[in-house]
Amino acid sequence: MSLRCLGTVAAAFGLLIAVWHGPVSAFPVDGNQTALPVNTELNEDALERPREVFRSEISGGKSYLVNLGNLAFSSPSILGDVARQANVSCGTCHVNGAGNARFFMPKMSTRPGNFDTTGPLFNPKADNGLLDPVRIPSLRGARYLAPYGADGRMASLRDFVRNVIVNEFAGPEPSPVILDAIVAYLQDIDFLPNPSLCPTGRLVGKISEAERRGEALFSKPFPHDPGMSCAGCHVPSGAFVDHKQHDVGSVGLFKTPTLRNADFNAPYFHDGRFDTFDQVVTHFDTVFGLGLTAQDRRDLVAYLTAVGDGTQPYEHEGAGASLKEVNDFATVLGTAIAAGDRDVVGLAVETIGGELRELTEQYPDRKNTSVSGGDRERVNARAALKEVVLLLRRIEGAVDEGRTENAAADYRNYRYLMAAAVPSLLAGAEPWSLFNPAVHDQHYAALRRILESRHVAR
Amino acid sequence: MKKSVVLCLVSLAIANSVGPVSATALDDAAERYRPYMIEGIGSALAGIKELRERVAAKDLAGAKRAWLSARAGWERSEVFTAGFVPELDTLIDAWPNADSGFHAIEAKLFGTGEIDVVRDTDALIGHLDQLESRLPTMALTPQGLLDGTVRLAYEVGESKADGGESRISGTSLDDMRNNVDGIDFAYRTIFAEALQVTDARLAKQVTERIDELKTIVAAHDLPHVDVRALRRASEELVVSLQAASLRLGLQRPTLEAQSR
Repeated sequence: MSLRCLGTVAAAFGLLIAVWHGPVSAFPVDGNQTALPVNTELNEDALERPREVFRSEISGGKSYLVNLGNLAFSSPSILGDVARQANVSCGTCHVNGAGNARFFMPKMSTRPGNFDTTGPLFNPKADNGLLDPVRIPSLRGARYLAPYGADGRMASLRDFVRNVIVNEFAGPEPSPVILDAIVAYLQDIDFLPNPSLCPTGRLVGKISEAERRGEALFSKPFPHDPGMSCAGCHVPSGAFVDHKQHDVGSVGLFKTPTLRNADFNAPYFHDGRFDTFDQVVTHFDTVFGLGLTAQDRRDLVAYLTAVGDGTQPYEHEGAGASLKEVNDFATVLGTAIAAGDRDVVGLAVETIGGELRELTEQYPDRKNTSVSGGDRERVNARAALKEVVLLLRRIEGAVDEGRTENAAADYRNYRYLMAAAVPSLLAGAEPWSLFNPAVHDQHYAALRRILESRHVAR
Repeated sequence: MKKSVVLCLVSLAIANSVGPVSATALDDAAERYRPYMIEGIGSALAGIKELRERVAAKDLAGAKRAWLSARAGWERSEVFTAGFVPELDTLIDAWPNADSGFHAIEAKLFGTGEIDVVRDTDALIGHLDQLESRLPTMALTPQGLLDGTVRLAYEVGESKADGGESRISGTSLDDMRNNVDGIDFAYRTIFAEALQVTDARLAKQVTERIDELKTIVAAHDLPHVDVRALRRASEELVVSLQAASLRLGLQRPTLEAQSR
């Protein structure tokens, strides 16, 4: 690389750092003829995404089944027509296995972060005629959190996953292996580590006085019923759940939610009615007559915040993170090609290709005049991504025609390109991509201006 | 001496029989594309001039109709615009920063309902005029036209879940139909005959895949376009055209303009 090039990259990178000042405002669906209701907010343009931690990565690497499950979870193809048309997958709501507090869909949500799973949009047959959305939960630590569903109506995670696919989203009956894979994936997602929590759920290390007092209050019996306490349901030694349903004054029986990583799981309660721990504590104080002082409430909030913490909850969205995910997905191809498994190859090609096409759009083309500079780099990045999309399609064609050796050869080429050439080209174009907050803002500001023209006329 | 000439001729004959289509044949075929190109841009220009008149008459409905008419001619021409006239392509069809060209006018006519688009319309007429004047003498290469056909075939398969490029007027599906018509015409006019000679099976496959695209974009509105089938058909067509490039004696098509 020439000095001049280095200088340009350094200047662009400096600009990136200089303008970075937190998450950029999200961008709702707008315009005529969209597949989803206008003003739907999917938060897909977020520059920070929840970090995903896998149990198996700590112990040597993810299995075929976990990667297949992650792939299926990210694929609109396993859901029904409306979701497929709208490019909505399980991962749209559960971003990297966490929640999506910005998600909002008119007529299906009453506030950001909740969604009516028995609404009319995705499966009219499942519509109960009520707007009764439930909070979109984080799935971190799902293996500890049975029963499933906000009301805990299903003991089996497998049954619950099938119900979401078939009944809530009108998808085709999933094959047993796909169901097993999604369950394996969900059971592999760990809580974010919290160094302040010991295995028994006690706070350890450098703990503030407020947190310590809050911990004591958390276990203190309720005045009207000494058999009850916060910790009675949110059992510290058991991921802060008791696997039971309770009526806590929110009209109905709902399962105890975990407090692990809860700092990042707002909104709270089954319907997401509360934004903060303070509101939650005030609710319990009122409903159960706890007689808390203002200091008590602050102490409980401090305790909940300490328990709900997690290491590095978000990571910057960039080509590296996208490619890592896509490469994990692509590992299933090695097994599926050898087995001549057309269904899995088709699912992988469809899903990975879709992800790569979306990634391509992070590098604006020449007609996008809201972005300037890096023309050559952007062209190279886009062309490289398109080449691998087509390589995947050739793999599918070869498997369909029984040309397994050709498919395997193309798969080797794909792996080779994705190991070095593609990451290098994407890295070269990153300063002029939508991963750069300044470029991101310019692009979305331009799009926002043109879309706002619709609303002026209304 | 005589023996060497015979050997030379035999070699040439062998080369011709197993080799790709002659460059001259494809050059001639590419020339047959020129009238279509001139007609498409002429139609776009006529539409925008009509739009200018409707604007002068304060006729918003008429201006919208004229914009749609102009847009159809432009979208049919996208096989060549990005590759052969990239600067004008950007000025005429910038997106999403619609401070000039079609989308600047679209935002006002179909968005805010403003009829005051004189400045944008005059600028667009100027750019289309400039483009039209270059068409009769523009060097048309089969390679450039294959590149453009392939790029457009790939682009048609992009997600339109957000409403696509012409989302203010709600005419993104029309854009796609006109794009596919442009692909169809370019392929049939320039490459189909030659490919039929060198690889009839591949020629049939390309035709079938174009027809499949046409069927998919015949859906009655954008939300009912089968996006999965569209993407598959788009990518399979590109893969076929990449294979066809070898049989036609051309280089592998580029997937981005200016990347050759």
